Amino acid sequence: MIRYALTRLALLVLGLFVASALIFTTLRILPGDIAQLIAGVNSTPEQLAGIRERLGLDRPLPVQYGEWIGGILTGDLGRSQLTGTPVVSELLQKAEVTVPLGILSFVIALLVALPFGVYAAVRRHRPDGVAVSVGAQALAAVPVVWAGMMLVVVFAVTLGWLPAQGFPRAGWADPAAAFRALVLPAVTIGVVEGAVLLRFVRSATLQAMGQEFVRTAAAKGLTRTQALLRHGLPSVGLSVVTVLGVQVAGIMVGAVVIEQLFSLPGIGRMLVEDTGNRDLVKVQGELLVLTGLVLVIGFLVDLVHRLLDPRQREAE
Amino acid sequence: MLRRTALAATALLAAGALFLSGCTGSQPAPSGSAGTPDPDATVNVRLVLEPGNLDIRETAGSALDQILIDNVYQGLVSRTPDQKIVPALASDYEVSADKLTYTFTLREGVTFHDGQPLTPQDVVWSLTQVRDTATYRDSARLANVSGIAADGQKITLTLKAPDSTLLWSLTGRAGLILKEGDKVDRKTAANGTGPFRLADWREGDSIVFERFADYWGTASSAAEVVFSYVSDNQAALSGALAGEFDVLTGFDANLKDQVEANGDFSLDIGDSTDKGTLAFNQASGPLADKRVRKAIRQAIDKTAIVEALGAGKTMYGPIPSLDPGYEDLSKVAPFDPEAARNLLSEAGAKNLSLTLTIPSAYGTTIPQILVSNLRDVGITLKVNPVEFPTWVNDVYVNKDYQLSFVLHTEARDFENWANPDYYFTYDNPEVQKLYAEAVAATDDAAAADLLKEAARIVSEDDAADWLYNGQSVLAVASDVSGMPTVNVNERLNVAELAKSEG
Amino acid sequence: MRRAQWAARVWASGPGRFGVIVVLAITVTAIVSLLWTPLDPQRVDIANRWAGPGAGHLLGTDGSGRDILSLLMAGARTTVLVAVGAGVIATVIGLVLAALGALTPRPVREGVTVLVDILIAFPVLLIAMMISAVWGGSLLVVIASVGIGFGVNIARVTRPELRRILRSDFVLAGRASGLTPSQNLWRHLLPNVAPVFIVQLSWGMAVAVLAEAGLSYLGFGAPLTQPSWGLLLADLQRFISVHPLSVLWPGLAITLTVLGFNLLGDALRDATDPTLSRGSEPRGTEPPAAVTA
Repeated sequence: MIRYALTRLALLVLGLFVASALIFTTLRILPGDIAQLIAGVNSTPEQLAGIRERLGLDRPLPVQYGEWIGGILTGDLGRSQLTGTPVVSELLQKAEVTVPLGILSFVIALLVALPFGVYAAVRRHRPDGVAVSVGAQALAAVPVVWAGMMLVVVFAVTLGWLPAQGFPRAGWADPAAAFRALVLPAVTIGVVEGAVLLRFVRSATLQAMGQEFVRTAAAKGLTRTQALLRHGLPSVGLSVVTVLGVQVAGIMVGAVVIEQLFSLPGIGRMLVEDTGNRDLVKVQGELLVLTGLVLVIGFLVDLVHRLLDPRQREAE
Repeated sequence: MLRRTALAATALLAAGALFLSGCTGSQPAPSGSAGTPDPDATVNVRLVLEPGNLDIRETAGSALDQILIDNVYQGLVSRTPDQKIVPALASDYEVSADKLTYTFTLREGVTFHDGQPLTPQDVVWSLTQVRDTATYRDSARLANVSGIAADGQKITLTLKAPDSTLLWSLTGRAGLILKEGDKVDRKTAANGTGPFRLADWREGDSIVFERFADYWGTASSAAEVVFSYVSDNQAALSGALAGEFDVLTGFDANLKDQVEANGDFSLDIGDSTDKGTLAFNQASGPLADKRVRKAIRQAIDKTAIVEALGAGKTMYGPIPSLDPGYEDLSKVAPFDPEAARNLLSEAGAKNLSLTLTIPSAYGTTIPQILVSNLRDVGITLKVNPVEFPTWVNDVYVNKDYQLSFVLHTEARDFENWANPDYYFTYDNPEVQKLYAEAVAATDDAAAADLLKEAARIVSEDDAADWLYNGQSVLAVASDVSGMPTVNVNERLNVAELAKSEG
Repeated sequence: MRRAQWAARVWASGPGRFGVIVVLAITVTAIVSLLWTPLDPQRVDIANRWAGPGAGHLLGTDGSGRDILSLLMAGARTTVLVAVGAGVIATVIGLVLAALGALTPRPVREGVTVLVDILIAFPVLLIAMMISAVWGGSLLVVIASVGIGFGVNIARVTRPELRRILRSDFVLAGRASGLTPSQNLWRHLLPNVAPVFIVQLSWGMAVAVLAEAGLSYLGFGAPLTQPSWGLLLADLQRFISVHPLSVLWPGLAITLTVLGFNLLGDALRDATDPTLSRGSEPRGTEPPAAVTA
């Protein structure tokens, strides 16, 4: 187990390096010029040169990469080329919105997927089970953006129950308002992701139902449902854990679009803006953090999976 | 009077300015009538484009001028929404008969937000800094100023040559007075003399202004003004209907039914100097032929554009109605697809294919109309939407484009047409001569006439096409008063913005 | 023979049939639109903007007066293009990486496996934004990002299949009977891997359509004048509070198409897996949790 953990850890670190190299390399071939944006349209060559020097854009690429990596190891992701504020503090501030959004979405997704997925599996030959399954398929096919808009029209504009956009300026100092601001966005992401997850849960449940020990338990007199709940759920849980990493990616990506739609000052929206502004340093930092997050969660998932399932065979 | 255009970030501001409403005429006076203003009120204003940073000296972008000038920073003089120059930090000023000496009387008892007093030395220092630091925006506007001196409260500017644009320039960035030796980080903070202090900047979300208690003039009507940056019009509307915004700028007039039905808001429309300019790269290629350019102008239905946007006015020349030198030039290139087709076949330009470079923030209405209109006369238009930095690089710097659309929001920027190096690629010595004469003119009326003449030549040369003159479209809550309605994208003075009690 | 069996089984199931019909309908619409649409989708008609469904415009018009039905039909072209394009790229990348990860000597295999595992961490949308930041958004960006993102996914899923088949009896038999490795490949590996592959492709195309919608909304997808469902959605959505009905059409079109591809993939998976009986472990795979929004 220890050896497994160490191997995965080494792979994680390697993954982070490869990711950082890929991100850095890709973003350096920009056609736009950050110095030009700051200097603006009527600037002189001296103004441009001055800005370039100040931001270190005139140093060779490998040196810039090295500086960036060195900074990361000391917890410094550099400073925004536009505002000079440290990237890390920006990320932390925006994370106040995105992290709760992500967690809330995830919880909602689980609340949707787990009970309904099991239900759909157990009653798969009945109309209601089929209906749930079909419904989930349909929901999973809906573009998140569209889902969000529909919810806004109903709950914000028409009914007025929830805010249509924005996040309170006071942030979490006013927890009730902050929470209310995240409800519609989280429900949008959560329901769509939940529908996707539901299919997993359903087939994992089907698998579990076919397992020996469940059938045996059923034979011993427990109802199928009881047998399933008592013995099958752990393996269902295991299968769900397996796809957690990809779920996180899905939620993260949903957050980017949804933050744009609901004007939430989160990491996703910041990424979209910074990409448009060609703020290299920030975009690098944001992409690295996001992909790093997926890698880390994947790593944790692998460990948990391994811990929970001693019968797992080595892949190769 | 005349000014170089500040385009950077105009694009995104324009996303707001794009949505304009019918011909209800302009109201230069602030809008709204309400009950007794509540002195402790917070007014929430929605804006579209957030500044990248707040460095008023070095960072380009009308998003900064819009909120920082007159509210936070001030100059010796200022201008009203209807483009009149009025005293600000100078209690009065005098211009010598030969227009070579400008004397300002500096007010006494003015303090900066950090408590330090405003001294004549600060004025001399600020103006000298701007003139002498090449990296400062608008530095070149003070190029004609040879001497800046203070004698007691009198500040004297001596010019090398008459410059009829100087006073106007002093109402903008070039004239802002900062504290000498100030250590504040201009990118994220501000120390000015205006009625508001910069209280908070939550990047990506909002900027908060707080009333400055020790302001030298009339205190601001509202205790706090919050500028919320919401790019999506739908979200902004939903927010307004839900009570989160008191004022929506850059509003889409097509959504006005919802706003008016709601009853809590009224739509206010004001003129602006936003010029939707379709530039032609006439240095070479098919657009070097004047007939092709004229054909394009006559193929585009400006009335339909204005109708589609919901607000705005048609425009057929480089000077908008708010600026001196305006003339209605609609007869120069009226909408006439038949004539356009004839011109094109005369020029031997069959099956022309052209590319339009346009910042993507402008949305889709304009490109859709252009594609359709040009198709009707046999031109295939490809649309290349780019991020603003790419536009700057490709179009503005490298002139690597065929057609380009951008909203020029600056007032009095005719000088671009007199600059052969500007991205317009327009070079007419007669226009240049007329412009130089206008700058040197000692009489405002004479200057205006010279500009008018020059503008007519520009239009007759088909140097570009002007798709519309934008209007500021605002949705203002019924309990809000004092909201300027003219040229809001360029300058938004919120000192009189108030919300009534109850 | 096997293929006919699969086809029959897919057709026999309700969802499968639905999926086939939808995919066919979209493809036919796309082809037809090349020759004919009720009106020119680019034709602007300001006087008639925001018209409701009616005689001249079956589904109404948008904010510039363009006919929505024509836009939807022309948009099907873009959808097919993105789906097929992404599918092709994903196939190539997936096959190459899977082959590299299964058929090569051990060090290369291990390296490729690790690389694939790392690349999986890049969600499609982030890949697209990264590329967009460099070259600006475009359909090519969407196709490439989905192709890369999904290709890697396919590789990860296909590789164990390849390994398994490599060791299976009839492949070994093939080798024993003197077939060269490439002959072996053609005769045994590919046909056996194909089912897993096709299933993944079908799901991948669903992802591609969703990706186009999301990326076009963010402004990194289809160019402004290319009829596209995602762009139409973004366009119409700006006025949703005053014209809610119009957004329905592109949203429905996208949802139906995605649903069609997903159900088709599911049905293919069920049909082509001979070991699959109710309750036992389905070999091959699960649909990927959304790699894009």
